[in-house]
Amino acid sequence: MASKMLQFVSEAKAMPDKRKAATRKADFDEIYADFSAQSAETQAARCSQCGVPFCQVNCPLHNNIPDWLMLTAEDRLQEAYEVASATNNFPEICGRICPQDRLCEGNCVIEKGFESVTIGAVEKYITETAFDKGWVKPVAPSVELEQSVGIIGAGPAGLAAADQLRRKGYQVVIYDRYDRVGGLLIYGIPGFKLEKDIVQRRADLLAAGGVEFQLNCEIGKDISFAELRARHAAVLIATGVYKARDIQLPGSGLDGVVPALDYLTASNRKSLGDKVADFDSGTLNAEGRDVVVIGGGDTAMDCVRTAVRQKAKSVTCLYRRDRANMPGSQREVENAEEEGVQFEWLSAPRAFDGDGRVESVIAQSIHLGQPDETGRQVPQIIDGSDRRLPADLVIKALGFDAEDLPALFGEKDLTVTRWGTVQIDWQSMMTSMDGVFAAGDIVRGASLVVWGVRDGRDAAVAIDSFIQAEARGENRAAS
Amino acid sequence: MAFDAKNWLAMRQQNEAKLGAAGVYHPSQEHDACGVGLVAAVDGKPRRSVVEAAIEALKSVWHRGAVDADGMTGDGAGLHIAIPRDFFIEHIARTGHDDDGGRLAVGMIFLPRLDLGAQEECRCIIEREILAMGHAIYGWRQVPVNVKALGDKANATRPEIEQVMFSMPADMAEQEAERQLFIIRRRIEQAVEAALITDFYICSLSTRSLIYKGMFLAEQVTEFYPDLLDARFVSDFAVYHQRYSTNTFPTWRLAQPFRVLAHNGEINTIRGNMNWMSCHEDRMASPLFGEAIEDIKPVIAKGSSDSAALDSVFELLAHAGRDLPMVKTMMIPQAIDADSASPLAKLYGYCNAVMEPWDGPAAIAAFAGNWVLGGTDRNGLRPLRYTLTTDGLLIAGSETGMVVVPETRIAENGRLGPGEIIAVDLTAGKLLRDDELKAEMSGRADWDKWLRRSRQLDSLLAGANGSKKALIDPEMRRRRQLLAGWSMEDMELILQPMAETGKEAVGSMGDDAPLAVLSGHYRGLHHFFRQNFSQVTNPPIDSLRERHVMTLRTRLGNLGNILDQSPEQCDHLLLNSPVLANAEWEALLADLGDKAVQIDCSFGADSGDDGLRQALQRIRAEAEQAVRGGVEHIMLSDAAVSESRVPIPMILATGAVHSHLVRQQLRTFASINVATADCLDVHHFAVLIGVGGTTINAYGAEWAIQERMEKGLLPGLTLDESFANYRKAIEDGLLKIMSKMGISVIASYRGGYNFEALGLSRALVADYFPPMSSRISGLGLNGIQMRILAKHREAFSGNVTYLPVGGLFRYRKSGEQHAFDGQIIHAMQHACDTGSYDSWKKYTQLVARQGPVNLRDLMDFNSHREALPVEQVESITQIRKRLVSPGISLGALSPEAHETLSIAMNRIGAKSDSGEGGEDPARFKLRENGDNPSSAIKQVASGRFGVTAEYLNHCSELEIKVAQGAKPGEGGQLPGIKVNSLIAKLRHSTEGVTLISPPPHHDIYSIEDLAQLIYDLKQINPDAKVCVKLVASTGIGTIAAGVAKAKADTILISGHGGGTGASPQSSIKHAGMPWEMGLSEVHQVLSMNGLRDKVVLRTDGGLKTGRDIVMAAILGADEFGIGTSSLIAMGCIMVRQCHSNTCPVGVCTQRDDLREKFTGTPEKVVQLFTHLAEEVREILAGLGFGSLSEVIGRTYLLSQVSRGDAALDDLDLNPLLVVADVTGEQRGGPPADAPRVAVPDTLDAQMVRDAAGALEHGGKMQLSYNIENTQRAIGTRLSSHIVRRFGMTGLKQGQISVRLRGSAGQSLGAFAVQGLRLDVIGDANDYVGKGLSGGMITVRPSAASNFVAEQNTIIGNTVLYGATGGLLLAAGQAGERLAVRNSGAIAVVEGCGSNGCEYMTGGEVVILGKTGSNFGAGMTGGKAFVYDPEGVFPDHVNPATLHLSRMQPGSWADHLRGLLELHAKETDSAQAKRLLNQWRTEQGHFWFVIPLEVMDKLDPAVDAESVLTASA
Repeated sequence: MASKMLQFVSEAKAMPDKRKAATRKADFDEIYADFSAQSAETQAARCSQCGVPFCQVNCPLHNNIPDWLMLTAEDRLQEAYEVASATNNFPEICGRICPQDRLCEGNCVIEKGFESVTIGAVEKYITETAFDKGWVKPVAPSVELEQSVGIIGAGPAGLAAADQLRRKGYQVVIYDRYDRVGGLLIYGIPGFKLEKDIVQRRADLLAAGGVEFQLNCEIGKDISFAELRARHAAVLIATGVYKARDIQLPGSGLDGVVPALDYLTASNRKSLGDKVADFDSGTLNAEGRDVVVIGGGDTAMDCVRTAVRQKAKSVTCLYRRDRANMPGSQREVENAEEEGVQFEWLSAPRAFDGDGRVESVIAQSIHLGQPDETGRQVPQIIDGSDRRLPADLVIKALGFDAEDLPALFGEKDLTVTRWGTVQIDWQSMMTSMDGVFAAGDIVRGASLVVWGVRDGRDAAVAIDSFIQAEARGENRAAS
Repeated sequence: MAFDAKNWLAMRQQNEAKLGAAGVYHPSQEHDACGVGLVAAVDGKPRRSVVEAAIEALKSVWHRGAVDADGMTGDGAGLHIAIPRDFFIEHIARTGHDDDGGRLAVGMIFLPRLDLGAQEECRCIIEREILAMGHAIYGWRQVPVNVKALGDKANATRPEIEQVMFSMPADMAEQEAERQLFIIRRRIEQAVEAALITDFYICSLSTRSLIYKGMFLAEQVTEFYPDLLDARFVSDFAVYHQRYSTNTFPTWRLAQPFRVLAHNGEINTIRGNMNWMSCHEDRMASPLFGEAIEDIKPVIAKGSSDSAALDSVFELLAHAGRDLPMVKTMMIPQAIDADSASPLAKLYGYCNAVMEPWDGPAAIAAFAGNWVLGGTDRNGLRPLRYTLTTDGLLIAGSETGMVVVPETRIAENGRLGPGEIIAVDLTAGKLLRDDELKAEMSGRADWDKWLRRSRQLDSLLAGANGSKKALIDPEMRRRRQLLAGWSMEDMELILQPMAETGKEAVGSMGDDAPLAVLSGHYRGLHHFFRQNFSQVTNPPIDSLRERHVMTLRTRLGNLGNILDQSPEQCDHLLLNSPVLANAEWEALLADLGDKAVQIDCSFGADSGDDGLRQALQRIRAEAEQAVRGGVEHIMLSDAAVSESRVPIPMILATGAVHSHLVRQQLRTFASINVATADCLDVHHFAVLIGVGGTTINAYGAEWAIQERMEKGLLPGLTLDESFANYRKAIEDGLLKIMSKMGISVIASYRGGYNFEALGLSRALVADYFPPMSSRISGLGLNGIQMRILAKHREAFSGNVTYLPVGGLFRYRKSGEQHAFDGQIIHAMQHACDTGSYDSWKKYTQLVARQGPVNLRDLMDFNSHREALPVEQVESITQIRKRLVSPGISLGALSPEAHETLSIAMNRIGAKSDSGEGGEDPARFKLRENGDNPSSAIKQVASGRFGVTAEYLNHCSELEIKVAQGAKPGEGGQLPGIKVNSLIAKLRHSTEGVTLISPPPHHDIYSIEDLAQLIYDLKQINPDAKVCVKLVASTGIGTIAAGVAKAKADTILISGHGGGTGASPQSSIKHAGMPWEMGLSEVHQVLSMNGLRDKVVLRTDGGLKTGRDIVMAAILGADEFGIGTSSLIAMGCIMVRQCHSNTCPVGVCTQRDDLREKFTGTPEKVVQLFTHLAEEVREILAGLGFGSLSEVIGRTYLLSQVSRGDAALDDLDLNPLLVVADVTGEQRGGPPADAPRVAVPDTLDAQMVRDAAGALEHGGKMQLSYNIENTQRAIGTRLSSHIVRRFGMTGLKQGQISVRLRGSAGQSLGAFAVQGLRLDVIGDANDYVGKGLSGGMITVRPSAASNFVAEQNTIIGNTVLYGATGGLLLAAGQAGERLAVRNSGAIAVVEGCGSNGCEYMTGGEVVILGKTGSNFGAGMTGGKAFVYDPEGVFPDHVNPATLHLSRMQPGSWADHLRGLLELHAKETDSAQAKRLLNQWRTEQGHFWFVIPLEVMDKLDPAVDAESVLTASA
């Protein structure tokens, strides 16, 4: 069939139908419908099939995007799935939650004049079709190896590494302190971006493929790190970063000033049908409240939109830079605005006011000064610009830092950086401890799911070559 | 300074040895071409006038030769005439001998002059061999010569020239005597060679004829050899030749004529022919030679030029019983439809069964066996005009008018068409024309019956019942694909279009992936073979438009004795193509039975380090044993590959068997057939055939097609249909690859090694692919084995998976790296947008961190000087002037992008190149802000799009694009979707119609043609310098030397990586060489020849940093082209969809909506060139040099710092760094402000003086002159004056009118503009009205002439090539390719040769007589009216794009009548008058020919007035 690509010159960009704000506010379901086969093909055919595909260049996983777009356009979905899944363990997840406007789609060559190809939506379409058609099968390695790998953390990095290692035939055990598989995918990201059965489906597949999960298992408490090392030929630390960044302001200690992750986890657990005391008590429920979310990242966006769905009275986002300089996805900001969120740009909290429980936020206006050495403009407070925002729930979405892993694991020898992240040699992905590897946010700091997947895959390669060299006795000879 | 012959000679020899060792120069790479001709007395009676006419003719072809810088040393000339017996007898008598009444034999000998011992030894050998045959020697005569007629260099190499005279029995038949002398000569030559004496050569040794030749200018022939002035020198024939060589080293032996023939042109198939000739020697036998046959082997002496080799075989065949016309017919056959039932087709069928044609541009004049003959090649690529006089002389030669014959004595003026012959049988005293000769030869035997002994493969398939082999299981199929290194890209981008549409994939933006030898990825062996291609010295063929001269017919079976003539020679299996489907392979195997042997081409995965080598030894031994046992077909297959068996790369297996059988003298006894799973694309097929394969069965490709069928990707097609499509794509691709070399017949391509190995170990090449050249060594057998084993492990381990995505053609993270990747593009754009030099350094650091992509990446600077402060280095401004933005056409580029480049380059005093597509005249004026949007360099390419006199006058340099880096040997193409109204207007073509430029320039088939075009261009623009653009290849050094001698000012060496708007992917990837290799070769060979300071050297093809520029300078370049980078600076992001017209950034598109997206500015481009210059300064300062010119050619500043992958044997770049020793300090070209190389004045110098008044004030003017054929480009310089003073339409038609009497030289009225009218009474040579730009030309015979005008040739070949307007009326026939690429001129002629109106896109052509074949090929615009009362014209048309109808009364008929009336009035044409008189009946005998594309755009109400007023 003659190539029908390069249709961007005649076909306009069209996203899958997005549910109207009024209806989607009423539940926690995803807001985008699925593409029809016809529109997926039409949209995929808009790809310019570039000589240098900047979409791929700027994708942390270097997905072969033009190739699976071409295959989709030609209605060759099984091949499209093969290609898409060859570089990505969870294309249906990345298709949903990647900030494509900052990665592939944002760098799409036709973005400037014609609006980008809807890469994420097509990726989701391909993989959902693959699931529907039964093309997605549990891993069945052609050989089973005796060596096993222990992975700490069932988030994106850990799961990706587990998947890759299983394909090579390793025995894989994942340890996680939570009761469900998925890490942030399950408890951090709200259902309207990623429905929870999607994550569960992956967990089931991995389990069916022979990955063993040990949940509710905290390293350093339920099992020692040393024991883990003894049990496995290699260990991968993929815990993620969970320590919420805080701000110390007058009134920080008031009731109703809560960290974002607690808030989001409660909401997600509730959706999953768990009983959540802090939600039921109203501590972490936004219903009927004036909510102020502090921060401008993707977590902040998740919080404001969750609050909307919890039927908050009002939802305001306070961010110290302007719209153009926020780290979060522009698309998410649009979605939030549609859903009725107020944005207070160039604003920072000076104090929380209230009597036992927070009642208002005192905000100051900000002026963006000269760029610093990183090129970002430095926020400067405008004196005397105080204003008062009513707030009976304040959510701090200021980012995350690493927990003190050497302390938690009881392993002084585990070298960490001054930010507390685990230090690795990027060539071997090994930590300061022999046979111990690390990947994902715990290495690079809070980042995107797609980077977690990438790191997990890289770690799997590194672990494989480590174990194989070990088996040949080379590591010892070298040391 | 006095010429120091000794020193010069010593240095020259030293340099040849040095450059030869580095593979930069080899004498076999020399090319030559020339003027050629013959004179014969039709009655066979010797007369003095024959000799005198030949001497006169030699004096009239000087412009087809070349002269050394000393103005005296010519490239050689000579004369072949009968022995004047009286003259010699008198001499013999004077030395005290008596005439014994025997047959007088005379040998003309070149002896070593300076080594007297060797000289004497030669004499002894000669005498010994003559005496041994029992003949009596009269003695020696020192031939009187006048050394004052020689240049210094010619004199320095001058041999001692002597004649040996002896007597042979009078009763010996002439043929017998000549044959014996042939044997004696070969024995002498071999004895001298055995004595290790070099400077020895026998010009002729005969009882019949004698050759005088040497390294003087043609006009000096009688000066040097006063013998020729002796009235006793009478002859019945004379063959003469003037040579133009790429060499500057005067080599006396290479002067022509040779023993039988003189040749103008070049044998493109020479490598294949020479290889096969040595194979044919195995079986050569003839009762005429008997035992002595061994003495004449090898037939072709080592170091022979192509012409000399051709002569050797001609001579052999002529002595072995065939007469000269038959020898010509066999060796240089006419192109004929093999399936035709005509007796002629049967004759040629037989000839083709005996030996491979010698193919290439050829006009030959020959004498042997008492026949004199003139002949041309199958394409008619060299002109041969003839005049028959009323007193019985036949005068034939490259030009008309070489011998002045009074009009009243002319009985006939004619020309030879493609493949034709004219001959005189001197014994019978009879002139024989082509049709008579061929009819007679067709009747010599029952060729038809002989040919019926061969069988067609189709019949065999029918017998096999179309059985299909059981198809392989998908898992094995996938594993074999992985093993072959195929990717999804190969399947989707390469295979799919072939299987679906029968066409090869097209790509753009050149090749920026690493050379195969530098790649970290697995690359099949075919990636190490670079396709050769023709440029300048010979033309590529047009496999699209001139398909009829090409054939892929393949014969299976052993080859017979070429000296024989018997029916058994036709016992072959005939295939229409070397590409076999799986079913055909099976059927073939079944049919051949025990005549075939199957040889397994795989080796054990565990067979150790030497496994591959042993396997190759095994298959060689098996093949040899089989052939010795009588097997006639070797079937090589890698089908046995499995988990434990690894395939031998089939190219290696095929080369191993072919080379082994050649060495064992067994190759002609068997065919070599190849079945392989790893061959997919056209290039791979070409390599397999080029290294000796007879047929190829790519079963893996067929499986892959089947796989795609199963997936439903070939809807509506059956497997057979898909494979047929694939086969068609492969066949067309093979034709294209052959055509690049100018080869028409696959038999002559097979085993011809028309490749250069790049990065294959020299030892490997010498063993398996001799005599291919491999200058840069690299991958050897060990490396190949390691890589293939690794691939095998990968393919057979683990689960079967999908194919990798690829990345060779388009960047993919997991695939090949590309020099321009995303990060680098952004970094460079950032530096150009911001102007930040720091950002630029970040960009160049990124480039430096890339792995090696190009050869230069393995080198680094290495200076022993102290660094200089940057301030002491020449300025940015000075450096920028050396930078050029190379030719990218308006059409490929959007108008915005094209103008932006020009404006930017003009702002910095550098040059932009217009590319091939014309330029809007509005751009010739300055913008209001002072910007100059006109390109400083205007390109002249083979399509001549928009090349008008005005265009040519608005520039400081004219560039002749001979070849393009991305697709050397092919023409440009502009897809129809990009031809909008503006582009169509500028190119004088039709909107929406794809424009394809012809592969060759139809006025450059040979080096002297290039000299002529340079001459023409220097006439039409009296100021502009001329640049010739070539593409790097082996042998380019000698070509460049020839180009320099053609008076080019600049030579551009493009690398293979150059960008392109649209080109077949296989050409982008596999043709051409890196510029590093081409540039250093050219620089060194020019230096050796003392020509380097005459020309500026420019290079381009992937230059992108200051480092690249300094490296290029060190390798020899003066100027530097920056193409892709300048596009990137304007916003290009390497989408590589230029051919799709969907460039999303508005750079390479003509769509209005996309053009709006263009964000490039002149500032960004200026910034790019500023950054580059700044970086050059930094590097120069670091090296301790103050200017670029100081480092040019100083290769000691470079050293190799990396030897590539550890698996490589030895990657040695020394051949790039070798230096020729030169005297004097200057190493680079002339300074930019030096005047251009001057060319001689033409008649126009006089005309301009005589018309001074009219040129000043524009009054009416009438001039009158007598002319000769040496006066070329008449009217061209005058047109330059007119267009500069009055513009294109400032004068009325005919305001300056010039009457010319005689034979006009080439390029009469080239680029003539409106206002100039040229009336020739007499005739004219090739290229009349080339690029005609509105002027008017008439040519008619004198009223006193006695012949019938319409039956005679009056104008030559390639008339009106690239004409854009004007009028040509010729009362007589035109030659080949009338009005090729005409886009606006109107012409009336009275007959034409083949390929008339080819590629025409506009204008009108009326033909009042016969046309040759292939009329209107690729014609997409304009109209033709062809008179054809017999109704045979449709057989001569190439109907692909045309609509034919008989003329109906009406407005078009009236229009035609108007043109006829004009013709009758202006030329007094008898034919036109007769037709007009009988108009009512005759009008219906015209065909009205129009392209299908314009049928609906035709205006029925034609305004004939427009034509008539144009001529008023």
